[in-house]
Amino acid sequence: MQLTVNGKTVEVDVEPDMPLLWVLRDELGLTGTKYGCGIAQCGACTVHVGGMPVRACQMAAADVDGDIVTIEGLGTPEALHAVQAAWIEHQVVQCGYCQSGQIMAAAALLDSNPEPSDEDIDAVMSANLCRCGTYPRIREAVKTAATKLQGA
Amino acid sequence: MKTTVIAAVSLLIAATAPALAAGQAATIDPPAEGSVSASDGLAAFDRIYEVVTHPRCANCHVGQEGIPMWSGPSYGKTRAHGMNVRAGESRIGIEALACSSCHTKLSEDREGANDLPHAAPRVNAFWRLAPAEFVWFGQSKDEICAQLSDPDRTGGRDAVGLARHLVEDAEHGGFIGWGWKPGGNREPAPYTLQDHVNDILAWGAAGTPCPGR
Repeated sequence: MQLTVNGKTVEVDVEPDMPLLWVLRDELGLTGTKYGCGIAQCGACTVHVGGMPVRACQMAAADVDGDIVTIEGLGTPEALHAVQAAWIEHQVVQCGYCQSGQIMAAAALLDSNPEPSDEDIDAVMSANLCRCGTYPRIREAVKTAATKLQGA
Repeated sequence: MKTTVIAAVSLLIAATAPALAAGQAATIDPPAEGSVSASDGLAAFDRIYEVVTHPRCANCHVGQEGIPMWSGPSYGKTRAHGMNVRAGESRIGIEALACSSCHTKLSEDREGANDLPHAAPRVNAFWRLAPAEFVWFGQSKDEICAQLSDPDRTGGRDAVGLARHLVEDAEHGGFIGWGWKPGGNREPAPYTLQDHVNDILAWGAAGTPCPGR
């Protein structure tokens, strides 16, 4: 089947019920998206499908109905997305495992709500778990990214 | 923000329309008006109440606060949906996190799609809460009976209309059929889809009797 991932059309030969996360990591080698729980409880595998945040472990390849953006396609080291830049500025990351999911969730949040309150941030980001407890820095980085995006 | 929300809701609803997947079938065969006694109608309503207040149905039929529930034998203690989930006025969560971020939409009613224990259940529709005026969670028999007999709260549907709604939704693999085929370790709703449709029709033919009136 054909998928569009980070702006490129790719052809994958997979079973229809293979989770998108497997397609990304095992078939396409895009290992920036992480496997956390496999049952939509942690948010580590968050990607964008058709501009919406989606848990890649929960969406079967056959159910993909839009262009996919993964952490690799959000920004590049040379041209970081505002959320990625804010993450570095606030040194959000500790172990890092959940962070690509956190960043994808935050980027989607700012697409739909450019000026989120603490409550808005909590409402969206509570479904992305971080065992290192980086939540206070995540919240600050989201606000910094919001300011940068509004000034852009 | 509001415009974005409305646009997103419209997109989601528009995308729900072409549902071609196979679901569960049930037939609509209403008894003749007046051919069902009030006591048989009340007995049918008792079974309807058992179904609609079962966790598979009631957990997402919640009130204005828009917080889905986790209750039933597979959940232990009754509690609000985890992860600070709020479905918002849209009832699809779009104001914060769309329900379908985790409860992704199946493009077909695939056998076994919901068999993974503890995973977010999925149907061939964008996951959402029922309208707030259709609250069932924690409601009494009288309250639900009054609601189901009030066309202002059923989208203008009488008993036959409600039965048709059940059958059509189940046919395309939506939420209603899922209630009897929830997968994983979830307890299905009692009786069967066809039993429930028959009970709705019998209750309607008996003149929609309610326990308190």
